[in-house]
Amino acid sequence: MAHRLLVRRIWTLSAKDIRCLPASAAAASSFSTSILQFATTRASFLSPSHALPCSLPHTSLRGVSFNVQDHEDFTVRVINSELPVLVDFHAQWCGPCKILGPRLEKAVAKQKGRVAMAKVDIDDHTDLAIEYGVSAVPTVIAIRGGDVVDRFVGIKDDDELDSFVGKVIGQ
Amino acid sequence: MAALCRGKHRWKRTNCLHVLTRNLTGNYDYDLVVIGGGSGGLACSKEAAQLGQKVAVLDYVEPSVKGTKWGLGGTCVNVGCIPKKLMHQAALLGTAVKDAQKYGWQISGPICHDWATMAEAIQNHVRSLNWGHRVQLQDKKVKYLNIKGSLVDEHTVKGQTKAGKETILTAKNIVIATGGRPNYPTQIPGAMEHGLTSDDIFWLKKSPGKTLVVGASYVALECAGFLTGVGLDTTVMVRSIALRGFDQQMAGLVTDYMDAYGTKFAWKCVPKSVDKLSSGALQVTWTDTHTGNEHKDTYDSVLWAVGRAPETKALGLDKLGVQLKRETGKIILGSDESTSVPNIYAFGDIGEGRPELTPTAIKAGKLLARRLAGHSTELMNYDNVPTTVFTPLEYGCVGLSEEEAEKRHGKDGIEVYHAFYKPLEFTVAERDASQCYLKVVCERAGEQKILGLHFTGPNAGEVTQGFAMGFQCGATYSHLLQTVGIHPTCAEELTKVSITKRSGLDATVTGC
Repeated sequence: MAHRLLVRRIWTLSAKDIRCLPASAAAASSFSTSILQFATTRASFLSPSHALPCSLPHTSLRGVSFNVQDHEDFTVRVINSELPVLVDFHAQWCGPCKILGPRLEKAVAKQKGRVAMAKVDIDDHTDLAIEYGVSAVPTVIAIRGGDVVDRFVGIKDDDELDSFVGKVIGQ
Repeated sequence: MAALCRGKHRWKRTNCLHVLTRNLTGNYDYDLVVIGGGSGGLACSKEAAQLGQKVAVLDYVEPSVKGTKWGLGGTCVNVGCIPKKLMHQAALLGTAVKDAQKYGWQISGPICHDWATMAEAIQNHVRSLNWGHRVQLQDKKVKYLNIKGSLVDEHTVKGQTKAGKETILTAKNIVIATGGRPNYPTQIPGAMEHGLTSDDIFWLKKSPGKTLVVGASYVALECAGFLTGVGLDTTVMVRSIALRGFDQQMAGLVTDYMDAYGTKFAWKCVPKSVDKLSSGALQVTWTDTHTGNEHKDTYDSVLWAVGRAPETKALGLDKLGVQLKRETGKIILGSDESTSVPNIYAFGDIGEGRPELTPTAIKAGKLLARRLAGHSTELMNYDNVPTTVFTPLEYGCVGLSEEEAEKRHGKDGIEVYHAFYKPLEFTVAERDASQCYLKVVCERAGEQKILGLHFTGPNAGEVTQGFAMGFQCGATYSHLLQTVGIHPTCAEELTKVSITKRSGLDATVTGC
């Protein structure tokens, strides 16, 4: 019990810290037109030696995110969700998406149920992706109460993601 | 509503029946509806939208007999140029790795190829292109509909979704750019049940294994080429000649190289039947038309590359009186891509007499869009189109074949300059360059205008592209001689060519 309280305090502290941090660079909100995301062009974002934060307990990422099945599923589980939802638009041909996905799941897991995460494969759900103005991938869109409240394109590191997620929950 | 518009009658705009289909934006739902989202259709629709037209493009892929289907972009992106060139590259890299050892690279162990790795990477790239096209249509404000379009009348298109739902669209102009699909030799028992076509080969998740490629078109030779290159036992079965329509001397060099490279050829053979054995392998029975004897052999896959048929059947063209060429089934076109029905245009692979190439479809589509928007009167120039066959030894050409030049100008009216050369890179690699060759077919008299230029060798496409511009400008043999070569390259040999066929001299040239 004490452990849980301690852990919760750490998380709350972290959340507070995140709120105080200056706005993370370029939560790209502009619709990037005609920019195609290819693994090679985003290679510079990869930092192979990026260490995992060891202050938090390792959380199982199983069940953190769900795959959107169809438009109706999106409506029910994202638009009508009581929780804010981070929608991860990705593609199997997108290298950076494979890096961002787990990182985002980790950031979401840290929030212990205060935010949900939906994954949308843009090849399977092209119309949905187009509807939300996705052009390059990965694109992450934060939806709260059915409205888009924030978004970014490309890879972000763990701190930037924690900041982004915190902002989505906090507002 | 649609029923009332059916028929060959020309409905004037003042006709009140059309009022029923008008919406707030004007007379018709769209200024332009393009049926077909391939190289041509996409280029045409995007250009039209950029010029302020209200455009919709309909794209629908009927799954192949084997069930293969793909996304937006047409043949080139999904089952043609793009995956073909990438698989060709995979094969070339295999050769390069072998050559590398002669250049000092220490490569331990046998070099083997994993089809699944290559296929997945290529298929992923194609999917990224499907997406890219989708985004482009969105950006250019072209309405995209994944529906199967057919014509109701010259201003009405009916679309059907996969689920069977119907949509009606009306348009001021309709453009057909539905392209073609591979032919199956339906008269051969077992052909459809057990064989593949180019629609399938690029989407296979597992290696096709020992393959029989039936046909000798560039599709057949290119496929056989990369299959051999990635280490598969490949046989090409040719009914009569290879690369029909291309310069036959060059075609011979291409197939000679493939033969030396490891592809087996069954010349003058015609398949009779394909049976599936209990092992799962395919047994092909064929006749050698030279000897009349029958032969059998087993293969893991049979790839039919026996021609392509235009996608016109489901369009409802006969109902509207759109004239087709009976022998080919393609749409008969005017020089402005018009069909026999006003307001209906067609271009690309579906057009009779048109080259089946992406660049010509793209260019023709853009020019058509400009004409339809009233921005231009420029017609597509189908002359002087360069092309390259991406066989293991690539063959690039622009202009007339030697046979065609002879036919038009007479054997005495032309001068053919030629040379056998050896790419520098082949020397250290100890590779045989016997089929590396080039020839420039010129008018014999006067300035010696170049009528045709032919080149076999590495990077033939890159080499030919630049010379195609000279060709377009009406280059002569003296222009060629005036051009200083870049050294050391293969392309420079074209600027140095001086031995004529007429002289009978040995055409082998040496480097410096």
